[in-house]
Parts: sequence; structure tokens; C-alpha cells
Amino acid sequence: MENFEPVIVAFCCHYCAYTAADMAGSQRLPYPSNVKIIRVPCSGQVDSLHIVKAFEKGADGVYVAGCLDGDCHFKNGNVKAAKRIAYVQKYLEEIGLESERLEMVNISAGMGHRFAEVASTITEKIRKLGPSPIKASASL
Amino acid sequence: MQNSKTNQNNKVLVVGGGLGGIRTALDLAEAKKNVILIDKDYTIGGLMTQLDRTFPTNNCDLCTIAPHLSESNRQEYIELLTMTTVSNVSGEKGNFSVTLTSKPRYINLERCTACGDCLTHFPGCVRFNPGLDHRAPTCMRYPQATPQAYSIDLDKCEDVEALVKICKAGAINLDDMPINREIKCSSIVLSPGADVFDPSHLDYLGYSNLPDVVTSLEYERILSASGPTGGELLCPSTGKQPKKVAWIQCIGSRGLQKEAGAYCSNACCMFALKEAIVTKERFQKDIETTIFYMDMRTFGKDYELYLNRAKNEFDVRFLRSRPHSILQPDGTTDLTLSYTKEDSTKRFEEQFDMVVLSTGFKTSADTRQLAEKMGIELNSDFFPITEEFNPVVTTKPGVYVAGTFEGPKDIPETMVQASAAACLAAADLPETIVEAQAPKEELVERDVLLEEPKVGVFICDCGDNIGSVVNVDNLVAHAAALPYVAVAKAEGHGCSRSSMEDIRKTIVEEGLNRVVIGGCSPRTHEEKFQDLLQKAGLNKYLVEIANIRDQATWVHSGKPKEAEKKAEDLIAMSVASVVQAHPLEDQTIPMNKNVLVVGGGITGMTAALNLADRGYQVYIAEKSDKLGGLANFLLTTLEGGDIQAFVANMIEKVKSHDNIQVITRALIVDHSGMPGMFTTGMQSGPQMSYRQIEHGITILATGAKSNRPKQYLLDESPLVKTQLETQRYLFENPDKVKQWQNVVMIQCVGSRTKDNPNCSRICCQNAVKNSLAILDINPDARIFVLYRDMRTYAFQEKYYQMARERGVVFVRYDQDKPPVVEAAGDTIDVTYYDTILGMNVTVCADNLCLSTGMIADQESNKELAMIFKLPRTEDGYFLEDHVKLRPVDMPVPGFFVAGTAHSPKLIRESVTQANAVAARAQTMLAQDEISLGATAAIVDGKLCAACLICVRACPFGVPFINADGYSEIDPAKCHGCGMCVSECPAKAIQLMQFEDDRILAKVEQLFERITA
Repeated sequence: MENFEPVIVAFCCHYCAYTAADMAGSQRLPYPSNVKIIRVPCSGQVDSLHIVKAFEKGADGVYVAGCLDGDCHFKNGNVKAAKRIAYVQKYLEEIGLESERLEMVNISAGMGHRFAEVASTITEKIRKLGPSPIKASASL
Repeated sequence: MQNSKTNQNNKVLVVGGGLGGIRTALDLAEAKKNVILIDKDYTIGGLMTQLDRTFPTNNCDLCTIAPHLSESNRQEYIELLTMTTVSNVSGEKGNFSVTLTSKPRYINLERCTACGDCLTHFPGCVRFNPGLDHRAPTCMRYPQATPQAYSIDLDKCEDVEALVKICKAGAINLDDMPINREIKCSSIVLSPGADVFDPSHLDYLGYSNLPDVVTSLEYERILSASGPTGGELLCPSTGKQPKKVAWIQCIGSRGLQKEAGAYCSNACCMFALKEAIVTKERFQKDIETTIFYMDMRTFGKDYELYLNRAKNEFDVRFLRSRPHSILQPDGTTDLTLSYTKEDSTKRFEEQFDMVVLSTGFKTSADTRQLAEKMGIELNSDFFPITEEFNPVVTTKPGVYVAGTFEGPKDIPETMVQASAAACLAAADLPETIVEAQAPKEELVERDVLLEEPKVGVFICDCGDNIGSVVNVDNLVAHAAALPYVAVAKAEGHGCSRSSMEDIRKTIVEEGLNRVVIGGCSPRTHEEKFQDLLQKAGLNKYLVEIANIRDQATWVHSGKPKEAEKKAEDLIAMSVASVVQAHPLEDQTIPMNKNVLVVGGGITGMTAALNLADRGYQVYIAEKSDKLGGLANFLLTTLEGGDIQAFVANMIEKVKSHDNIQVITRALIVDHSGMPGMFTTGMQSGPQMSYRQIEHGITILATGAKSNRPKQYLLDESPLVKTQLETQRYLFENPDKVKQWQNVVMIQCVGSRTKDNPNCSRICCQNAVKNSLAILDINPDARIFVLYRDMRTYAFQEKYYQMARERGVVFVRYDQDKPPVVEAAGDTIDVTYYDTILGMNVTVCADNLCLSTGMIADQESNKELAMIFKLPRTEDGYFLEDHVKLRPVDMPVPGFFVAGTAHSPKLIRESVTQANAVAARAQTMLAQDEISLGATAAIVDGKLCAACLICVRACPFGVPFINADGYSEIDPAKCHGCGMCVSECPAKAIQLMQFEDDRILAKVEQLFERITA
């Protein structure tokens, strides 16, 4: 597993994290290409179903990026997302998947730097965890 | 069409179709006012179209300006006349008669398809590209040109008949004649721009005989993908890539050379930084960049951060020096620069491959003539004399100015002035609302519901932005093999008119019913492509943009293979998702025409008065118990304007205005609703009683605070004052000031530091202002100004010059060697290191003035940002939607920001922003309803178990259980967050545009590719 390149899905809120990702682009701040962004109107829209499906299909890591505390464009979508993530994390443990593979992060629209940082840290973390056991069992 | 319009006196004439003129015209048109936009050139776009990238985002200019250009062409309220100048003007405000002269283009615009055949066969009959264009010249200035047509230079054409024959469209018209026409207009906006200083006569710089000495604009053209070298950086003399490039600042500015302006050209420091950063970005370690400068003037919003990036991340070298000469020793291709350093009297020599002269702005003879025809007065530098507190108002009523014609400035400030001029020009129009001439063309939508998905994928190379990192042809080949893809094509600049037209044609001809664009961010370009789909007869929601630029090539440029793989993935995901897309309809709601202005300082009051005068009901919510804000503490401006009289007059007008209600001691506590119909709750008055206001527009004019860091004995010694306090002290205690012997001022106290990295913009001119005021009272006072960079931009430079002439001593200090301040009885000892003497010097000061600048009002901005859901910058100011193109619009429609709530600025700059905001607000207020888009949640009643989870989940209380016993969501009230969707246990709710099957399709597609 020396050359393991994890695949990571990032569900990003249009109002904050997705904008921050664009800002990282315009400031040319590099981050690992392992992170694939899916744009959502609010982190609160990200369903357990979306997350679990990503893992089922072979994602090594998933994160949901919403606005900073109190800054949600829709009042409390990020808070709801955080609760849901905590719930799904427990569920992942139950089925034998490390809960660290799933994370909730908060990034504001102005934080291009933080977006790149988060993407790098999470990729590194997942790289250390190794490939998702689901993927391993599927390829058996 | 022209004739019916030209005889009515209900329009505004905008002279100059650069970025500023376009903005003015668009703001007026969106507010349903008629505009005639003229430009002397063959296409509109002005100077900006020649730039490669813009600071501080290093975006491609064409990408950012192009949507605006085509927008301006399609607006039904704008009549565009190119190759047209003003010959004569008579009349006055409200009733001008103007004679316009149009030169012959020899091309029928209606017929020209811009196929380029004439150019291929007759490249000689052509004009354009200023300097440096050793490629085939083209008379279309750039790929996204508006109007999209060629022009012919008959004088250069030898075989006219052959030329006529070559055009298959029959568009070449040799009988074209100059046309004179008389138009009537109520007001005139002048934004013809400025020239760039020509350094040919400065022989010591060698510009006219050394090919590798270029101006900054020429360097920009060399870097540009549409430039003479196709975007490759090559020395003009050798055709090799340079290894060492130097920039020399202030060429033609700050009055040091022959025919130079006395002013600072404002934008050149950022311009040079950008060029150096872009150069470094492209060539990294292979190239050295050095900037020779006098003061780095990065005083704009977040510009200091850009300077820090250039220094720390890109390793650009900065040398504070004015080079003596550029010479080329015989037999070499090197350029030898001689210079001296600030801490040395020795002469240094250094070799460079290319030298870029940062040439400043200069008014042109044309624009001076224009000013004369208009009857507006000019200052000694030939820029218009404008009103003390309102820089877009000229000496002639009804004639307004904007952009670099008004004075040297950068793009964001040009945009702000352009909007401000639109606001004031519109106020001169007659009251009646003019209806649009032609009814809107009904766009027929093809019904695609029963069709099998047939996807077209169009991939941009975006010049170098995408094309230089990944192979677009590979992406096309990959996309072509995806399921349901019928057509895959490379499109160059997908947003250019020719590409847009090609995409439209392809959709129609191939019968496509879904489209994917591989290009930039949907945040900026989705709307443009949605419009395109409508023109191609498709529902606008059948397009998806794969963000392969901002989120792939820009961030993975160092790893092109990975970037290409990721771009493939992103395109494949978009295709999978768009296959699931279906036609949607936009929701509209009525527009509430009340305005809430938060903050009752000069900015808030100016915006309020403008809108109230147009008949809109305005509420001003002011936190303190009186109007006026920070201006209540200010006495005079640098130019001598009486601030107190100005504020008092404005407060009087506001208080007596029938359409303005002032609410003092107002504390905003809650906010709800959506663009067009907001409700804001506030507590106000001595009892803090609660009330709600319904409004469609919110203007943030909350101002900033005067900074007060605990430094240099401030608040410990009575002899230490801020500049603000000093100003009042001078006014109140002239007798004491007369006894001062030594005065010291320290600049950048609490600004440009680690904790507060930005420049406060106002302090340098404040120090100059107070120095001159002290000398007026006490001519013998010795004044020492300790500074890091003197940032007396634009015409402030004159006063800086004056202060030096009158004996004020300006001494530079280093950030790591700040002055030391000690109390010494009746005086303050200030010790600083003098670089020329090479030793410490101590001044026993009778008074120490600290330039403490401004900081954002963190607490109240944070509070408001949370209530209104608005983003802020890292230093706490409100963050506008786009630095350059939408400088006063917030990302949430209906919200605008102006004045020091945006960033530190002077009163006249705040007033300009306030006017600009009023113009931008009117573009919304002129509409009777506004579109909310189609992102709304829809319940499938058959699946709904009426469990009430959505009712509880919705943050806005929209879902309810209807008479049929299942949940219902009013699409006009739905905010489109999708929270109910994710909570619904029966999956009975779907959010349009972000349906579960579309999101899951992306996920599945991504992994299908990876596991395959």
C-alpha cells in the first residue's frame, strides 16, 4: 500500500466552503487532488444517505464543509449537519469503519487558506488510515 | 430604433466604453433608464481588455470583463455607438443637445459574422494592437470583442474589389460614410479613460532604442495569451526567456521626469506587484524579479496582504531606489541599471534582461478637448475639477465624470465611481418612467421530458488557465466516451461570443438536451450559460458546470497529471448529474420598495438622500443617539473642505426629508425574509422598544472605528495624541501650538502590523494635513514625520510635496526598528534610526501625534454579520461579492455595503460609494418582482406520512400539513437549503437542482471511474 492515494469526497456548502475553494483557486493555494468537491446549497442538506453511499462505493474519506458557527445562511444547517455527522460516525464504527474517515469542518467564504489546509490535513489523515476496508473487501 | 429614441430627451449620454462606461450604462439600463453609450474605438472594453490578469486575485481580465461586455450589448435600454465621438455640446442640465460623429467602419454590423476571411486574405487593411504586436494584426481586438465584427482601414487596402468579394456575408460596405447625428439627453457621464505616460523622450531610460525596455502595459501584453507572443514571456530583442526582470516605479508620476504629472498614478504599485507575482508564478525559480520603488503604495482593501505575499511567498525583491539610467554596453544584450541605495552614497550597477517601466496615467489631448467641449474646468494636471466632497460632480451641472478620466485609479474605484455617476445622472432624468422600446422576445422552450438524454460537453482552455496545465483534447476524448454524451468539443474561451454562438448552434443542430461546460466556477458563470441554453431553446436548468479551473488547474498546476485526472472526474460527475436534470421554473416574488440603511454617518445619509429623492421610503437605523458618525469629529479635509458644515447641512436635509425616517439608538436584533422582502427587527430609543421594518433593500453603512492601540505612551502622557485629537487641538488651542518647537508624527501605529496587517489608507494624508495646519499656526515649528511608506496617492501627492517644501522632515523607519518613545518632563523624547546618517537621532518633542488609522468595529460587525448572514474579511470589514466587478454588492442579493464598513477610506470616497450603492439599489428597486431561482423543496404527497419532521426541521417554518393530509411547501417561501430533504425519513421531499439522484449520480460516477 505504498502508493495508496485515497479518494475523498467533500460536500461543500455553496455559500462558504465552495466559495473558499474557489478562493483557494484564485490565490493558487495548492492542496491534494484527492479531494473531489460536490456543491450543495447548505451543509444541512447532506443526507446520511449521501455519505453512506460514498463509503459504500469506495470513498476512503468523506467530509462535509459548512459555514462557521452562527454564520449559516439558513440559520442552523451547519449545526444540524454536525449532529448528523456525529450520528453517522457512530454508525460507521458499528459496521467496522473508522469514524475518523468522516468529518465535519467549518470554513467561511473568505478562508481560501483554511480550505487548502483542511484538504491537506484530511488527505494526510486518511492516507495514514489506509484504504477503506469496504473497498478492500469489494476487491476480494 | 435609433430614430425613435434619439428625439426624446429622456436619456443619459455615456462617453467612453471602457469598464467604467459599461458599468454606468448597465446600472442605468438595469434601473430602466435609456442610455447612449459611445466609444471612439472599434469595440468597447477600454484599457482593461489589454490586461492579462488583474490584482489581487490574478484572475484573467477577459474572463471577468467578457460577461459585462456582452451584457452591455444585449441590454435593450442601451444604444451602443462605436467609432463615435462628441463634436459639439449645447444646452444645460436636463436638456443637452449633443452632436455625435461616427466614423465609417466599412462593415455592416448586421451582416458581419466575424468569420475572419477578410483578415486571412487581407491582413494589411488592419489596425490595432498597440505596440509589440508582431503577430498577424487583427482589427478585432480580443476574442470576446463587442461588437463582434471587424473594421476595415481603407487607406491601407490596395485591392478593394477583391476585399469586397472575399466576404461571403456581403458585409463590406465601401459606401459607408461618416455620420453626424444630433441627440438630446438630460445628463452626460464622461468616462473616456486616460492615456498611459509615454516615456520615449526620457533618453536615460532607453525606452525608444532598447527593445527590452518595455512599459508595464506592454509587459502585460507579452504575458497575455492573446498578446504578440501568445502568452510566452520572451525578450523582444533575443526571443529568449529573460532570467532577470526589473520594474521601475513612478515613471511619469510624482513629478520627477519631464512632462510627468505631479500626482501619484495610484494603481502602478499594485500593477507592478501583480506582474512580478504572475511572472514568479509561471517561472518560479528560473526568474528573478526586482522592483525599484520610492514608496510601495498598497493602500486599498487587503492590498497590503498582496504586498506581503509578493515579499514572503513569491520572493520578489524590493529595492527602495530610483535608478539613474538604463544602458546597454556595446555588443551585449544585457541592460545595465545604475542606482544607489537609500543607506548608501555608492553607485551600484546590475544587469537585467528586461526592464519594465511602470508608467502612470496621463490625460490625453482628446479628453482635454472633450472637456473643453463639455465646458468643464480642469486642474493643473488636466484632470477635471470636481466637487469637494463628491468627486464625480464636475463644475458643469449635469455633467459627471468617472474612472481614470476623473483621476488616476484602479478598477474597483473606477467601478464605484461609474455606479455613482449613474446614480447622479439618473437623478437628472425627467420623472416619468420610460418603458422599454420593444417587448421582450419570447423564448420558446423545447419540451425535452420524453427525450433520451443527449449531452453536449464543451470544455474551455480559458487561455493558459486550463490549457497550460492539462491537455484539453484528452479531456474532450475522455468526455466523448461517457454515457449519453453525443458531442464533446474544446471551446477555447467558452464565455467568448464566438464560442457561445458555437455552443448554441451545436445544441440546436445536434438536438442536444443537456449541456456540461468544463470551465470556471458556476458561482460566476452559471447564469451566463443558463441564458445561453434559453437562447438555444432549452430550459435553463439543463446545464451543469464542472469547475475544472478554480478547483483543478489553478490548485493543482504543479501536478498536471493529477489535475487532468481530477478534471476528467469532475466532468464525468457533471455529466452523470446533468443526465438526471429536468426542466424547472423560476419562482418570483413582489419587490418591497422600502430601504433600510444601517448607520447614519455621511455614507448612510448620502445613500438615504439619493434614494429618498427618487421617492423610495428609507429608514436609517443609527446605533448612537445622533447622526453624523465619525465625521462629527472631523474639521477639514486635506483640500480644505469644511466637514462640519457639510455634515450639518446633510443632517438637516435628512431630518426634514418626507421619505426618510431616522431611528436612533437602534440595535438590530433579528432579520428574516428573502431578497425583495426582508423583515428586520430592532430595539430603539431610550426604552429600547421593539419594532419591525419591512424592506427590500439593506444598505450597510456602519462605518469603522478610530484605532487606539496602547503604544508610544498614548493615554499615558498628555503630550501624545492621535491625529484625530491633534486636529481638534490645533483648532482649539492655537496659542499653545505657537509655542511648539518640535513635533513628531509616527505613521502606521497599529496598522501594517502582525495583528492588523492592512494599511489604514487615510493616515498619510492626515499627517500631511496636520503638518500643514501646524505650520500655518506656527511657521517655525519643526515637524518630523516618521513613516514606513508615504502613501499620498493620486492628487494628495501635491500636498506631500508642499509639506516637504515648507520644511517638514520625512524620515523613514523600518518595521523592525521602530522609534523609541520616552517621557521626559515637559517633552517626549523620540529616538529613531536615521539611515542616511547611520545613527540614532533623538528629538525632544513638544507633541507626539500618532497616526493610528482605523479598525473595523469588530463587535457590532460580527453581530450584524451573524444576523444578516454576511461574510466579513479576516480583519472584520464586510466582504463584498467581487473585489473588482461588484465592489459594493454583497453576495446576498438586496444587500449592499458602502463607506468605511467596507474598508478605511476618505469622506469623498465614502460619498462616492454611497452614491454607487444608491445606483445599485435602484437596479433592484426598478423591478416590480424579483426572481428567486428554482431551488425549492417539493413534497411528493404519495410518499409523505405527515410525520411533521420537515415542519420542525425547516428554519423558516415553511412546510405545513395541507387539507389533503400531507406536507406542502410554498416554493415562493422556500429558501432552498434542503434541510427538510435530508431529514425526511420517507425521502418524500426533493430539492430542485440538488435532487438526491443528482448528488448520488455524482458519487457513483466518481467511484465507477476509480474502480473501473
